[in-house]
Amino acid sequence: MERPTILTKSPARASTRASSILPFPVTARFNPTALLILYAFVLALGLGLGSASRALKGDPPFGGVRLGPWEAWPRLGSPEADPYMRAIVARRGEIPLATGEGFSLTARADSQGRRLDAGCSYRIGAVTPPARLWTLTLYDEDGRLAASDLGRSSFTSSEIIRNPDDTFAITVSRGLSSGNWLQPPAAGTFFLVLRLYDMPGAAGANLAESAFPTIERLECGS
Amino acid sequence: MRLRNRFLLATLVGIVMAAGVHVAVILAAPRYAEQDAFGKILPTISAEQAQIVSPPGGRDTWLPLPDPAVAVAACAFDLDDGPARIAAKTGSLFLSFSFHTKTGGVFFAVTDRAAVRGDLEIVVMTARQLDEARAAEDENEPSRDVRIVAPEQQGFVVVRVAAPAPSLRAQAEEAAKAVACTVDEAE
Repeated sequence: MERPTILTKSPARASTRASSILPFPVTARFNPTALLILYAFVLALGLGLGSASRALKGDPPFGGVRLGPWEAWPRLGSPEADPYMRAIVARRGEIPLATGEGFSLTARADSQGRRLDAGCSYRIGAVTPPARLWTLTLYDEDGRLAASDLGRSSFTSSEIIRNPDDTFAITVSRGLSSGNWLQPPAAGTFFLVLRLYDMPGAAGANLAESAFPTIERLECGS
Repeated sequence: MRLRNRFLLATLVGIVMAAGVHVAVILAAPRYAEQDAFGKILPTISAEQAQIVSPPGGRDTWLPLPDPAVAVAACAFDLDDGPARIAAKTGSLFLSFSFHTKTGGVFFAVTDRAAVRGDLEIVVMTARQLDEARAAEDENEPSRDVRIVAPEQQGFVVVRVAAPAPSLRAQAEEAAKAVACTVDEAE
């Protein structure tokens, strides 16, 4: 309250000016409404962008099918793909297999639900649904092809060595194994992708879990 | 405690608006994505042959999770220039076409089972171009083109050729590269 008196010596004028140059103008007063509006906007942007980027980094939240250890999104390659699927495909830059072209399934865990680990050995078998051709590919946790010491990271249905009853078994282990052998990366986790090309019927429809290979954990060495 | 109620109201409004932001981002993501498959394939739009995206073996590719047993090639089309004609000679190897748009995903797919005497030929057009083609057609000599209508002007065709054994990989890559993507001239 000293500034008006410094500016002028006349007490009458000081009182008239004091009202116009009040040291605390109305707008600087604590205003909860403005703060709350700002808070609502920050909350909307933060939550909205955060949840959207989280959703885009993961797997499509809807339309998934689980068949034993295998997970698939049958509508991913169809015109009925939902907006999450489209956004995730665009972000990953991938080209999904179209319905009618093939069907792809991913396994990140074994048949008991334990994460696939490079320190363990697994047996994959023994049947797949009918398809003109299938491939089983092993990727490391970053999605790169994990080539074994023999330079192999995948099997196709025509390369596989089958048992007399037409079943098959693929061994995944660090150490060399006879028969169908895939080698996981040196450490960490890995995942498998089974692709069935030219399946009869609509992809993903009427498929039973028993038609898909199981992933059995054999042992976990040091 | 009016202030607390107002705070709760602001939180509620914020959450509702957050849901709107979330939906808007998800819906807009395919349109504004630059690192998507369409953005990477588009530079090859003028090529008359499909361009290899992922050679068999799965090396040297931007495609995530490549299948080492499959050669993937693609060609982009822009229907403003005229209908796109995609033609392949099929052999013993599995071959498939899938048709994609930037924002709409897959709209059609076909495998070599649909081939007629070793030729698989598809014409992609807009609804308007289809009408024009029908109107221009000679009734006594109907066209044998397989025509599909694309939901958007721009898109790309993906060709997949499988190599069931590593020794067939070179052949699969050749077959994928040999697919012709031409623009039909307006009549």
